[in-house]
Amino acid sequence: MKYVKIYLACMQTAVSRAAAYRTDFVLGNLITLLSNIIFPLVTVLIYANGAEFPNWTMWEILLIQSVVSMSGAISSMISGGILWVTMDCVREGSFETILLKPLPPLFYIASSSVDTSSVGLFIGSIAMTVISAVHTGICGAEGIALFLLMFLGGISVMVGLDLIMAAISFKWVGNSRIPEIFDSVREFGKYPLEIFPESVRVISSIFIPVAVVGFFPASALLGRFDTLSLISLIPCAGFLLFGVWLYNRMIRIYEGVGG
Amino acid sequence: MINYIKHKLEICRAVAFVTYKEWSAYRTHSLVSVFVGPVYFIVQYFIWTAVYGGGGAIGGMELSETIRYFGASALIGYLTMDFADWNLQMLVRTGKFLTFSLRPVHHRFFALSQKIGHRILGFYLEFLPCLLIFVLLFKVDMIPCCPLWTALSVLLAFLMNFYVNYCLGMAAFYFVQANGIRVVYQLLGNIFSGMLIPLSFFPEIIQRIMIFLPFQYTNYIPAMVWTGNEAIGAMGLTIPQAVMYQAIAVIFTALLSEVLYRSSIKRFTAVGA
Repeated sequence: MKYVKIYLACMQTAVSRAAAYRTDFVLGNLITLLSNIIFPLVTVLIYANGAEFPNWTMWEILLIQSVVSMSGAISSMISGGILWVTMDCVREGSFETILLKPLPPLFYIASSSVDTSSVGLFIGSIAMTVISAVHTGICGAEGIALFLLMFLGGISVMVGLDLIMAAISFKWVGNSRIPEIFDSVREFGKYPLEIFPESVRVISSIFIPVAVVGFFPASALLGRFDTLSLISLIPCAGFLLFGVWLYNRMIRIYEGVGG
Repeated sequence: MINYIKHKLEICRAVAFVTYKEWSAYRTHSLVSVFVGPVYFIVQYFIWTAVYGGGGAIGGMELSETIRYFGASALIGYLTMDFADWNLQMLVRTGKFLTFSLRPVHHRFFALSQKIGHRILGFYLEFLPCLLIFVLLFKVDMIPCCPLWTALSVLLAFLMNFYVNYCLGMAAFYFVQANGIRVVYQLLGNIFSGMLIPLSFFPEIIQRIMIFLPFQYTNYIPAMVWTGNEAIGAMGLTIPQAVMYQAIAVIFTALLSEVLYRSSIKRFTAVGA
């Protein structure tokens, strides 16, 4: 209960901070939203030129991509700040200020770095998801329940990836390109799994389950869900737990000398 | 005149060499591209293979041309990558630009020399490994159809990217925090430079408007020249015509950067912000 109170207090602070710099808040949200609208634009242009992903309509692809945006927005608010705060503190050699707090370091960073710049993206991606779902139609209550389940799995993967990246920054000091490595892997979750060969499908469903971020939840809404895919939820939980474990483990190698 | 040029080349060589050595210490930054570049390329490969399905041409390009286009686009990105805008904005905001305004070298020339050194490192650590991966592992034919035109076009893209970014960086002389302008330009650049999708997929009216904007000269034109496309964009430009348009755009942007510099430097107070 104590931790919930602290987290809520930090959320309030983040909102107050955003309210103090309103123009920055609005501009930041607008830019985040616009930069995430880019990749559905590729889909729109492909279909506008008379081409298509076999057996997938434009709105179905847009549904996958809007679900990815929604997961990205939520995970960014929860854990997006952890990587940058950790990376900066390790590079400056100021992580001690966090270690001295009377709270678990990971919890303190997560609660004090709530990112409000993804609120616009979250609202925008919900709007896109609803519009896409209206065009495709959705598959009843069972579909929605499966969607929510897989969506939570997707958020676990995204948060887990953020934590793994943050953990790596203890060893790979000051490398601001670490997120690019994981962003590139996430690309596989933005398109129908069928377009990839078998080996990539297995990797993106089980080993690095990025398909759970967009493809599986959207498939659940569309009634195209294969119940065998539920097995992907196990590595999703594993990813999150591994991220937490790795982060706490990597704190031990912090030397306080900067880099 | 010869002595002047020789002196300038010596300065350029010295600055480029120091920058090369400085960034060599952070070579793992560049080596990230050896993983990221091929992964993005694989995704593009599967997307476009699925989209083309039975074959034919989309947006005036066949599958093999599109694959080559994305390979060329990635490789050109490694040769022309630039952050002169961020650097100049940082120098002005912190007041450190003062140290450059006291030197007997124009800061733009200094920054260009830095970029040359930085990209020579990029050539070894990003361009060459990714080229080898594309050719040997993915079996993509990455040999330019017209090597001389391609080299000229890439060189112009290199300069275009630099001059445009330098102009954006000068916004820092006018605004306390000019980061937003840079981000908005990057956003538009991602869409209209042809990095995400060839411009030939856009409606014709947008392709015609793009002739007057800087974006396509940094990536789309050189990538199309590299792939050897004989009718570039909605105007169906030949390769020499496209490179000529690019050269005109570079000259215009270089002149614009000088005009902006002369006007901006009067506002420099050296106190930071």
